Amino acid sequence: MADASIEFKGSSFTLSVLHLRTSKLADIRADLIKKVAQAPDFFYLVPVVVNIEKLVGGIEYQAIKALIEEFNFTFVGFTGDIATEQRKLIRELGFSFVNTTKVSTAKQTAIAQESVTKIAASAECHLYTDKVHRGQVRSGQQLYAKNQNLVVIGSVSAGAEVIADGNIHVYGSLRGRAIAGAKGHHKAQIYCQNLEAELVSINGNYWLSESMQQHWGSPAFIHLTDSELTSSKLI
Amino acid sequence: MARIIVVTSGKGGVGKTTSSAAIGIGLALKGHKVVLIDFDIGLRNLDLIMGCERRVVYDFVNVINGEATLNQALIKDKRVSSLSILPASQTRDKDALTKENVGKVLEELAKTFDYIICDSPAGIEAGAMMALYYADEAIVTTNPEVSSVRDSDRILGMLASRSRRAELGLEPIKEHLLLTRYSPKRVEEGEMLSVEDVVDILSIPLLGVIPESQAVLKASNSGEPVILDIESDAGKAYQDVIDRLLGETVEFRFLVAEKKGIFSRMFGG
Repeated sequence: MADASIEFKGSSFTLSVLHLRTSKLADIRADLIKKVAQAPDFFYLVPVVVNIEKLVGGIEYQAIKALIEEFNFTFVGFTGDIATEQRKLIRELGFSFVNTTKVSTAKQTAIAQESVTKIAASAECHLYTDKVHRGQVRSGQQLYAKNQNLVVIGSVSAGAEVIADGNIHVYGSLRGRAIAGAKGHHKAQIYCQNLEAELVSINGNYWLSESMQQHWGSPAFIHLTDSELTSSKLI
Repeated sequence: MARIIVVTSGKGGVGKTTSSAAIGIGLALKGHKVVLIDFDIGLRNLDLIMGCERRVVYDFVNVINGEATLNQALIKDKRVSSLSILPASQTRDKDALTKENVGKVLEELAKTFDYIICDSPAGIEAGAMMALYYADEAIVTTNPEVSSVRDSDRILGMLASRSRRAELGLEPIKEHLLLTRYSPKRVEEGEMLSVEDVVDILSIPLLGVIPESQAVLKASNSGEPVILDIESDAGKAYQDVIDRLLGETVEFRFLVAEKKGIFSRMFGG
């Protein structure tokens, strides 16, 4: 039968780790005073794990814990790449020893980074080819350039919709809707020779025509600056 | 080779039937063999405009269903002998038409006639699609106001994607813009889109501009197509349309408001 009132589950948290380079309590205290003085609120009740792997000789575990708590940190335990006997000792003294998953985390991060780079690279590659449409895009028509830029040699009528995962270029008037960076691409841009659009959208940020008054009826391009849509003069 | 021309618009009441009738008569007067087909099944109007409503015995749907031959259904115009009318049915609905049976009728007509003018119903439903499907050319009838222009734009999209020529990847339908009910005075006052505005939005060649005219209403009610009223400005404008359709270059008329002379201003003329 399951325990109705409690449940244990593993979770990952970000904890501050205090790396000690000396076991001299006076020196540690002096540096802590300086550090905490910089941002007293920030450190208040912050859970801290103390890394002792750099310390040699006798370590005053109890004193270190007391010192940490004196500065209003919440002491969690000790950590570090240390011998098994020392870990055992720490536990016998009544402190937690927190195992780091440093190596595996580093590996995971590396893998994650790699895949991110790969995805980004593949996306970038796709975005460089163009889908070219010659002629008007009429009311009621929809054009989608999947993993491509969209080039329209003609105008996009009111009631028409042009969508691209990359950029949109309209060599004519843009009177309908233009949605660039449809799959999420914050660097996507929309260019047109005459801005009279019903709606423009980049990476999910959109503008209705009332927001485009600054460059209304003139050649312009729309882009994102700090996730805010911006229009700029084209010529 | 017969030229199949659809007169279409998307929006209703812009002057498709008036224009079909005028263009049909105009081409026939130039000596061409012309047939006018009313595709507006259930809302038959072309026969009224042409003044032959009392002579309708068989209609388009009867021909399609094999209840009458084409020769029985075609009505010869009393004014111009080279013009015939194939009226729509007033009692059936548009589902009577299919691509196959319309195709057969058009093929048959193409043997005798030089021009087949298809008067399309309004809307973008099956009836309108049927009227434009076999077209070689399209006369897109538009009023100078935003909703009409928007609907014409939609129809232009259909012409480019849903027609037989589009489906078979043939040369696209030749598109013409016919601007009707144009009032230069109201354009000047900013109440109406100008010719330039409409041409800019639709981006197709301009075939003609028909001025808003009392003559059109009078013509419709009397069953005498306005092109026969050679004194009226609308009649003259349709004449120009015929010349342009036949490949001539004709200057556009009736684009600016008439200035009132000093006498008419003084005496309130």
